[in-house]
Amino acid sequence: MANVNKQVKLELQKELDEFQKAQKDIQKCVETRQKLEAQLTENKVVKEELEILEEGANIYKLTGPVLVKQDLSEAKSTVSKRIEYISAEVKRQETSIADLEKEQEKHREKLGKLQSQMSPPAVKA
Amino acid sequence: MASPGQQEVQLSSLTPPQLKMLHDQLDQEIEVLTSSMQSLKGAQNQFNESKQSLKTICPKNVGKDILVPLTGSLYVPGQLADADSVLVDIGTGYYAEKTLTDADEFFKRKIDYLKQQMDKLQPAVQQKFQSRQVVYEMLQAKVMAHAKQQSKK
Repeated sequence: MANVNKQVKLELQKELDEFQKAQKDIQKCVETRQKLEAQLTENKVVKEELEILEEGANIYKLTGPVLVKQDLSEAKSTVSKRIEYISAEVKRQETSIADLEKEQEKHREKLGKLQSQMSPPAVKA
Repeated sequence: MASPGQQEVQLSSLTPPQLKMLHDQLDQEIEVLTSSMQSLKGAQNQFNESKQSLKTICPKNVGKDILVPLTGSLYVPGQLADADSVLVDIGTGYYAEKTLTDADEFFKRKIDYLKQQMDKLQPAVQQKFQSRQVVYEMLQAKVMAHAKQQSKK
């Protein structure tokens, strides 16, 4: 009886570790997604500002210590592409988060089952 | 409002440790929201400063002596040459040449946008404050009731 209890305890510990790992992974994905969303918003703002500019207005891009003159339409398309890319990344993170949450649920259920396996033996004693 | 009512029902069924956890969670959320508010206010001040400094770049100041920063601690003397256009940082490393009026409007837009965002945050902060207060009072009540029970025994 004690051996069975020990077995359950080990399994419980293992499930707990996996559950906590899933939780940490979810946390990381959420942080990444938040950063991406901030970048997305910034790029959207830049796009709006570029639209307001007249054709032929001078714009420059800062690459390292250099301000390089850019073509307005080129800049617009670069920013649009960046927005698309970031949106796709955000979606990817969201699917990761959803998958990890499903996994976490599975671990949580298993933990519940194992815990109920542990308690009855104690009651009998 | 329906939600505080719903919360009340659930709150009274929570144990003191759970109430304490909820209280701490609300505490954290309030901190995050308040620091966001502060960042927004700081950004707004920066834009305001930029807007104010535009005023010094006017035609009557052309030719006046200025100090141009080359690095954080190295300045060289120069003269104000162009009072018609300025380079404005519009984000993600892009700078746009704008006239003084356009630049002024740009900063005004930014300042208004930030004000909008802060106005959006404000009610959320208020609500969290109130919720935390309610949770705290519920926690106090339960602790006192529990203490009374113990002393009766």
